Amino acid sequence: MRGFGYLTKEGLKNVWSNRIMSIASICVLVSCLILTGIASLFSINIGKVVDSVGKTNETSVYIKKDYSQLEAVYIGKEIERLDNVESTTFLTKEEAMEQFKDLINDDALFAEMQGRDPLPDTVVVVMKDLSLYDQTVAQIKKIEGVDDINSHTELAKTLTDISNLVNAISFGITLALTIVSIFIIANTIRVTMYSRRFEISIMKSVGATNSFVRWPFLMEGMVIGFISSILATCGVGLLYEVIMTAIQQMLPIFVTIPIMDVIWYVAAAFAVSGVVIGFFGSLISIRKYLKMEGNEILGW
Amino acid sequence: MIDFKNVSKTYPNGTHALYNVSLSIDKGEFVFIVGASGAGKSTFLKLIMHEESPTSGEIVINGTETTRLRRSKVPYLRRHMGIVFQDFRLIEKMNVFDNVAFAMRAVGKPYSVIKSRVPYVLELVGLKDKMKNKPSELSGGEQQRVSLARALVNNPEIIIADEPTGNVDPEMSHEIIELLTEINAKGTTIIVVTHEHELVREFGKRVVVIDHGRVKSDASKAVDDYLGEADYADIPDYPDNVEVIPD
Repeated sequence: MRGFGYLTKEGLKNVWSNRIMSIASICVLVSCLILTGIASLFSINIGKVVDSVGKTNETSVYIKKDYSQLEAVYIGKEIERLDNVESTTFLTKEEAMEQFKDLINDDALFAEMQGRDPLPDTVVVVMKDLSLYDQTVAQIKKIEGVDDINSHTELAKTLTDISNLVNAISFGITLALTIVSIFIIANTIRVTMYSRRFEISIMKSVGATNSFVRWPFLMEGMVIGFISSILATCGVGLLYEVIMTAIQQMLPIFVTIPIMDVIWYVAAAFAVSGVVIGFFGSLISIRKYLKMEGNEILGW
Repeated sequence: MIDFKNVSKTYPNGTHALYNVSLSIDKGEFVFIVGASGAGKSTFLKLIMHEESPTSGEIVINGTETTRLRRSKVPYLRRHMGIVFQDFRLIEKMNVFDNVAFAMRAVGKPYSVIKSRVPYVLELVGLKDKMKNKPSELSGGEQQRVSLARALVNNPEIIIADEPTGNVDPEMSHEIIELLTEINAKGTTIIVVTHEHELVREFGKRVVVIDHGRVKSDASKAVDDYLGEADYADIPDYPDNVEVIPD
């Protein structure tokens, strides 16, 4: 398009001369993008954990605490004889505590738990065919002396449920905020168009095409969207670090994806979303003005 | 160049602005359009600029039948015209150069052309030394000359001036019409809508008198008829539904 540079410069000037409305639009859009970004990254992290947990074919069978270690070993042998059981590993209370110590990585908490004997003897079971998981668990539960079964599949299911819930809530909020963002941007552009109605009427009277009239305003919307995407990327980067550090301190098992592995994807997704939202926000306002002629544009 | 054939315009609210108008303006003509307020002059201009479409009849501009013109082609039709407004419509934050250059930018002219053309046109209207001034630093007459320069800068075949002398003093009014006459001498068609009968009389050009949506008379120096005792004998009675609308 001829005069592209001039029109783009006009669009940038619009953002500055209309800065209060531009800042309002940017704030709403940044909130929208950050919320979407954090929810998406949370979901990706849960997905990763679910995936790794699902791939771990290990089921812990806890033996009742009033059974002796020898009885527990026999129970383990009985489990091993089941058709779908590939192998079993016996963990004494002490070994289970050692594993737990490595897992929680918190010496103070571990010292506090010492002497309380919180963990039972455990038989770790590896199954041959995970599709027969439920039947095998039922068979194990029938064995005398088995107290409880800690299934990783159940953990995976719980995590997936949490992830789905977070996704559903964030989808709703994101949708609402996206609509709000579009309308705030539309309003910002409407204000700009109103303040430049004189110029629009002159442009139309000298034979400017609609695309020529439209471009600076579309550019303004897209610039607002792009600035928002940069701020939102920085915001997500910082928030992600804070949230994931906190989660890791609480749940050391939760291995998170490093932010630098995903930040460029986040930035690209935000840039595209921001620019698209800005574009459509502007388009809503421009359509109305482009249909007007002469004094109608000036409101006379 | 401009042909109106049996053109009528009725607005959606039922107001009849023009009634069966037939009129031709040739290339290179200078025409005054006169008439009382609400006579239909502005509607006549809007139809030429394709800001409005006629309810019936046919309008041909430069060989193009505008009534059948696609919306996307309207800007290209307007590039044949330069418009001068009564209220100048200059952009206050821009200086004189930028106000004139704006019309060239709006049609995508490159800056290399703009920077040589704008000073040339400003020289034509006698404002080359005020290129850097803001509109508020100019007199009414000077502002109208900037408006005229903006209308001229894209080298249109038709200049349409809607009450160009309405906001300037009588001496400057004369100068502006003089300037339009000079532009006309170079081959540009000029259409001037005005209330100022003295000016019309003085310049002795073709005068089209519009009254109650009809062409009442169309002749050189017809303004004398218009200003004198009205002779409606040759004009049929208006239908009841013809109303006067404000311009």
